[in-house]
Amino acid sequence: MGIENRVALVTGSASGIGKQTALRLAENGAKIVINDIVADKVNETVEEFKRQGLDVIGKVTDICDKAAVDEMVKDTVDTFGSIDILVNNAGMERAGALRKLSEADWDITINVNLKGAFLCSQAAHNYMVERTHGRIINIASRAWLGGPGQAPYASAKAGVVGLTRTLALELGRKGITSNCIAPGLIETPLWYELPEKNRNFLLGKQPTGRLGDVDDIANAVMFLADDETSFITGQVLYVCGGRSLFSG
Amino acid sequence: MEVVKDRVVLISGATDEAGQAMSLRFAKKGAKVVVTDTDQGKVDNLVSEIRQEGAEAFGLVADPEKPDEVKMVVTQAVSKFGKVDVLVNNVDTSEGKGIADLSDDDWHKSLTTNLDPMFFFCREVIPQMRQNKYGRVINMGNLEYIGWPGKANYSASKSAIFGFTRSLALEVAKDDITVNCVAKGGAFESSDMSEEDAAKLAKGLPVQRLGKPEDIAGAVAFFASDASPYATGQTLFVCGGKSMYFSMSI
Repeated sequence: MGIENRVALVTGSASGIGKQTALRLAENGAKIVINDIVADKVNETVEEFKRQGLDVIGKVTDICDKAAVDEMVKDTVDTFGSIDILVNNAGMERAGALRKLSEADWDITINVNLKGAFLCSQAAHNYMVERTHGRIINIASRAWLGGPGQAPYASAKAGVVGLTRTLALELGRKGITSNCIAPGLIETPLWYELPEKNRNFLLGKQPTGRLGDVDDIANAVMFLADDETSFITGQVLYVCGGRSLFSG
Repeated sequence: MEVVKDRVVLISGATDEAGQAMSLRFAKKGAKVVVTDTDQGKVDNLVSEIRQEGAEAFGLVADPEKPDEVKMVVTQAVSKFGKVDVLVNNVDTSEGKGIADLSDDDWHKSLTTNLDPMFFFCREVIPQMRQNKYGRVINMGNLEYIGWPGKANYSASKSAIFGFTRSLALEVAKDDITVNCVAKGGAFESSDMSEEDAAKLAKGLPVQRLGKPEDIAGAVAFFASDASPYATGQTLFVCGGKSMYFSMSI
C-alpha cells in the first residue's frame, strides 16, 4: 500500500506544482524522475532532492518529441526497473482574445499540454501493462470548462480530460487507472506573472477568497497515485476552492 | 496519506459496511471517532472495534430523522471531545420501485431517509465549525443519482445531495470548511452474492473488479484530511470507472 518504492515520472517538475508533487512523492518513498526542458533547472532540482537523500534522476526532455519521450521512459525503466506512476504535469498557456491569437499560439499550447500527455502516456503504458499496475495522473485545469481569452488552453485541457477518460476505459482491465486533477487558482510563480488587476479580479470571484497551495495539488496526486486507490478511474478531481461550482 | 490526527470525526449511519471501514481507518490514523446509528448492538460492536485500534471513541444510538435526536448526538460529541472537525453523512437507503408502483409513502420515505439526516446534522454541526474556522463535511452520494431505471425515487434523493453539497460548499467556503460528496457506484462486493454474479458484475466495470468498503473509506479520508483544504463542492465517483458510461458525470 502507499507509494513506497514505486517509480514516478513527473513532467514539468523543475518548478511549481510539478516540483512540489515530485517532492511529496519522493518523501513518501517513491523513486522520482524530474523532467523539464531547461537543463539548469532540472539539474538544480535534482541536486536539491539528492541533498535531502531522495532517490532521483533528471531528464531534460521535450515532451512533444516522440523519440525523446520514448527514450526518457526507457531510461526511467532502465534505471529504476519500472514506471508505475506518470504525472502529466507539464503545461503552458498562450492567452488572448480570439482575434489576436496566432496559429503558433494554438499549436504550442495544444502540443505541450495535450500531445505531450499523449506521448508520455503512450510510452509509459507499455511498461505498466507488463506489470498490470499503473497510475496515470493528468494535471488538467478548471479552465477546461472554458474562459474568455483561453481558447487554446481550455481546448488543450478539455482534450486532456478526454484523453484521461479514454485511457481509463482502455487500460482499466490492465490494472492501470487514469485520472485528472483540475487545479484552480494556485499560488505559483506563474500566478505572479499576471498583472495585479487580473489577480484581484480573479480572487474576487473565488468562492474561498484565497489561492490554493501547490501542496494541495501534490496531496491530490498522492491520493490518486496510491496503490490502494484502484477503484477510482476516469475521474476529474477539482482542487479549485469551489471555482468549478461558480466563477461568475 | 491523510492527516486526521486528533481530529474529531462524527459519522452517521456508521454501522453499515462503508461506515465501519471509514471508522476504523480514521481510528488508525489517530482521530477521535463518534459513531451513531439506530441499532444499539451494532453501535457497541463498532465502538469496541474502534477502541481496539487504540482510538478514543464512543457511540450513540439515535434516530437521524429526528432533529432533536441529531441535536443530542452533536451536543454530546462536542461536550465529550470539545468540537466536531469532520462530519460524514453516511446514512443511505437504496430502495427503488417502478413509477406506477411507487406509493406516496415510498416517495416521501426515500426523500426523508436520505435527505433529512444530512440536513439535520449539517445544521447542527456547521455553526461550531464556523466558530472553529475548520471543517470537513463529506456526504455519501451514489452514481445512481445520474438516472437509473426503476429508481426514480432514490436518484431524486441522491440528486438532491449533489445540489446540497455544492450549495453548502459555496456558503461556507470562506470559513475554511469544505463540503464534498463521495458517490459510490458500479458494483460492490456483498456476502450474499454468488461468485458467478460477482464475476458478471465485475465484467461490467472498466477496472474489472468489484468495489470494497475500503475503497469508499479511502476517498472519504482524502476529503477529511487536513491536507485537502482546497477541494470543495466536488462529487468524486468511486465506481471502478462506471461513471464514464453516463453523461454529466464529470
